[in-house]
Amino acid sequence: MTSEQDKKLQALDLKIAKALQIDVPELRMPELPDIDDTNVTSLQGHRRSMKPLWFAIAATVVLATSISLRTSSLFQTYESLAEEVLAHLDHEPGSLRITDVAVTEQRLARVVPASLASFERGTSLITYAQSCVINGNEVPHLVIQGQYGPVTILLMPEERVSESTPLDGETVKGVILPVGNGSIAIIGDREEPLEPIQKNVVNSVAWTT
Amino acid sequence: MNSSSAEGKRRQRFDSLVTVFHQDMYRFAAWLCRDKAIAEDVVQEALLRAWKSLDSLRDDAAAKHWLLTIVRRENARYFERRRLETVDIDNLTASQAALLAETSNEEIDDLREAIFGLDDDYREPLVLQVLMGYSTSEIAEMMGLKQGAVLTRLHRARHKLMDSVAEQ
Repeated sequence: MTSEQDKKLQALDLKIAKALQIDVPELRMPELPDIDDTNVTSLQGHRRSMKPLWFAIAATVVLATSISLRTSSLFQTYESLAEEVLAHLDHEPGSLRITDVAVTEQRLARVVPASLASFERGTSLITYAQSCVINGNEVPHLVIQGQYGPVTILLMPEERVSESTPLDGETVKGVILPVGNGSIAIIGDREEPLEPIQKNVVNSVAWTT
Repeated sequence: MNSSSAEGKRRQRFDSLVTVFHQDMYRFAAWLCRDKAIAEDVVQEALLRAWKSLDSLRDDAAAKHWLLTIVRRENARYFERRRLETVDIDNLTASQAALLAETSNEEIDDLREAIFGLDDDYREPLVLQVLMGYSTSEIAEMMGLKQGAVLTRLHRARHKLMDSVAEQ
């Protein structure tokens, strides 16, 4: 397919995405029935084992820890967006691998759907793409490889900030930039020159929400 | 963990997931059934079913796919229970017409009407790809099709839309 055809297709998809974005009524939660206790703890509940009690207790502790770790980003509350963004990096250490393997176009399209934003990949090596939750909203979490290691980019169309907010972690630094009605967080190594990355990212993203 | 604490955590987890994915669930349902009132019913049923089977969702990262699959099944169930009626685009009910509520952009309005007029076989994979961001192999898995069939349907859907818009 020629690049001209590619552009036409992208333009059409952008219009289709806009057309599909109908207004959504306020959430009406149905009356939820009580769930039997045996169902709530079913992961251990239907395990019939001859192992001693200590094993069951240890398994429960491991399970509870694992559930708590998996869901911590959903339940934890933070005092500011900056604090949540920095904490999010700790929740996904796997994203900060140094690698030269790029994510596929399909993966990128899934994480940054046309209904959320149009994103030009450009020449950056994107090595991680995951749909995450920040402040209760779905947020594309991307990582590109910078001069001093991985640089995290969080596209936050729902998070409006009035001005650039610096981010200062123990080993990282970054900024949350106001972009249209949303914002973009960019975080890298303390030595990483982030300004050129900020410029490229801001120019390559357009919200469609 | 005592039962009330477990129940509270379970409810908190459910509320968090629903808050994030409710819009996707509703829009998917609305474009599947092309009727805003039915879409609300389908989403209600899907939420109820999701609540009952929440413990089967082991990884919250897979929640969107899980919830949309439930919406898809509930939509199919809804129409199994009722006689399937064809939609006459010139004679829509108020609830169907609400889906085509005009925006400030005439081109988008025309396109919305053209998408509304697509056959289910073409509309569903298009919504899953463009609105939900799924790959063709994931759509094939969700719809029980071969990937080639999904690619063909997507190609035809886009051509039908281009032709419809060009005619208007």
